[in-house]
Amino acid sequence: MGSIKRRVMMLGGAMTPPNVPMDWSWRQLATEAYCGALETVGVRPREVDMACVAYNDRTIVDSSIGPQVADALALAPKPVLVTSSACAGNGVASWAAWNAIASGRCDVIVSLGFARSDNFDAMEAMNSEGNYCDYDYLMGLTHINYGALRDDYYRRKYGATLEDAARWVWQCHWYARRNPLAAEFSKPMPSLGELAADTPDAERSRQATNRGGVASAFVLCGEDVASRWTDRPAQFDVAYAYRPPYMGNFNNWPVDGLKGYDMAELSGLMVAAKEAYGLAGITAAAADVCQVHDLTAYEGFMAIEALGLAPLGKGAQYTRDGGMALGSACPVNTYGGGPAFGHGSVGSDFQAGVIENFNQLRGECGERQVVGAKVGVNSSYGTHHSLDVVGVLQRRW
Amino acid sequence: MSQEFPEAIVRLDTFSSAVWYRGKRGRYLIEGSKCGNCGELFFPPRAGLLCPACLERKMEPHRCAEGGVVVAQALDDMGFPAWGYGDDLPRHMVVVRLDDNVHVMGDVVDVGPGEEVAAGLRVRAVLRKHRREDTGAWAYGFRFVRDTKGEKGGS
Repeated sequence: MGSIKRRVMMLGGAMTPPNVPMDWSWRQLATEAYCGALETVGVRPREVDMACVAYNDRTIVDSSIGPQVADALALAPKPVLVTSSACAGNGVASWAAWNAIASGRCDVIVSLGFARSDNFDAMEAMNSEGNYCDYDYLMGLTHINYGALRDDYYRRKYGATLEDAARWVWQCHWYARRNPLAAEFSKPMPSLGELAADTPDAERSRQATNRGGVASAFVLCGEDVASRWTDRPAQFDVAYAYRPPYMGNFNNWPVDGLKGYDMAELSGLMVAAKEAYGLAGITAAAADVCQVHDLTAYEGFMAIEALGLAPLGKGAQYTRDGGMALGSACPVNTYGGGPAFGHGSVGSDFQAGVIENFNQLRGECGERQVVGAKVGVNSSYGTHHSLDVVGVLQRRW
Repeated sequence: MSQEFPEAIVRLDTFSSAVWYRGKRGRYLIEGSKCGNCGELFFPPRAGLLCPACLERKMEPHRCAEGGVVVAQALDDMGFPAWGYGDDLPRHMVVVRLDDNVHVMGDVVDVGPGEEVAAGLRVRAVLRKHRREDTGAWAYGFRFVRDTKGEKGGS
C-alpha cells in the first residue's frame, strides 16, 4: 500500500425518491442525483474534477458507458471512471474517488450510482442469473437461489429463527415509516406476527423491497479545500474486498482472511471492515450508527457480525436485545434497510447508507435521529458477498 | 416458463453453444482442478489459472467425487425460476460437500412425494438434461439424486 497525502471529506449527497417518473431516461435519472448532490452542497458543475460511476442497466452498451455518462452530465472532456461490481458498485466507485482525492490528483469528485432497472424486465434480467455464470447460471441456479441457500445454512449453523428474522425486518419498517425516501414510507406498518409467519408471502415480506429506478450521488473533496463549501464536512473512508463468486467456494477458501470461514460468515466484509476501520483510525466500538445492505434479515445478522457490532453467530441476539433500535449503543438500519427502504441495486445500495449516515452526523434525521452520532459505519455487497464494501464517516466539526 | 424453444426473444438470453462446449467436462464429469504444486482442489475448474493458495500456475484436471452430503438446501418456489427450468418447479436447490471436500451447487431431482431434501442427505451425481443451448440442442450436466447406498466415488 502507498502513502496517503490527505484526508477525504464528504460534503453531502442526494438521491432520487421512490417512484421516479416512468418517462425519465437513465440519463435524466443519473443527472437528477448528480445535480441534486451538487446543489445540496453548493458545488458548481465546473468545480467537479471527475465522476466515478457505477451503473446497472443492460440496455446501455457496456463498452461505451464512460463517454455516455460524461456527455449526459456535461462533464466532457473531464474523465468519468465506470466500475462494474454489481449492487455495491458505487462503493467501488467511491473507492476510486477516494484514491484520486487522497493522492492529490483531484480536489472534487462526485461518486454516482444509477439503475434504471425497469428499462429491462428486471426479474428475468437479474434474478435468473447466478454469480459465476458457467457453473451456476448455466446449470439453472439463480440469484434468489444463492440467497436462500446461504440463509438456510446460516439459520442451522447459528440457530436463528423466523421470529428473529421478523424482528429485524420489523425494525427496518419502523425506521422506514420515519424516512420519506424509503420505499415503504407511506405504507401500512406490518405486525411482528405477520412478518414471522411461515408462509411464502411472509417469506417474501422478510426479503428486500424493490425500489425500481433509482440514482444517488455524493460529493467528496480534499480536506484542505472542504472549507470552500462547508464548515461541517465528514471524513470519509472506504475499503472493499472480494471473495470467489461461486458460493461453493465460500467454504474455507485457501487465502488469508477467507480461510476458516464458510457460507454463514461474511469473510470479505471482515477484510474490508478491518481496512476501513484502519484508515479511519477507529474500532467497531466507536460506531454510533450503522447501515447495512440486507436483502434478507439473515444477511443483516451476518453483516453486523462481520462489522464487529456482534460476535459471529450473535446477530440475531443483538437484534433480540434491542441493538437495532434507537437508544442502543449502535442503532442499525435507520434508513430502513433492504426490506423497507428498498433494494436499489447499484443505484443506492451502498450510497443510501452513506447519505443516511451523513445526515445522522448532521442531526437531520428527525424521528429516527441517533442523538449525538459522531461515527457512522455502513456496508454493502454485490453478487451475494463475493464483493463487500465498508464505508466510515466521522464528524469533523 | 416452458422448456420449448421457439421464440427469438429467448435466444437473446441464451448462451451460445460455444459456452456450453467449453464447460462440458465440468458439467458432465464434475471435473475441477488440482494444483500440481500444493494439491489444493477446485471447482469450478481453474485450467490455466493461478492457484490462489500457492500462486503457482500448474493446474491439472481433477475429477471430483460423485457422492457427497447436502450442506444447504432451499426450495425454489419464489416464482422466479431460471430460464429453461420453469417446468421443473419446485426445484430442490442444494450445496453439496463432495467426498473429496469440494463444494458444488446444484439441485436434487427425482424427489418423490413425501421425500424430504434436507441438510445431511447423502446424494450422488447423475448426468441429466438441463436446458437448451442456442442451437436448440439439449445441454446436459450433473444433477443429484438421493444416494441410498451411501457409496463414495471420485478419483
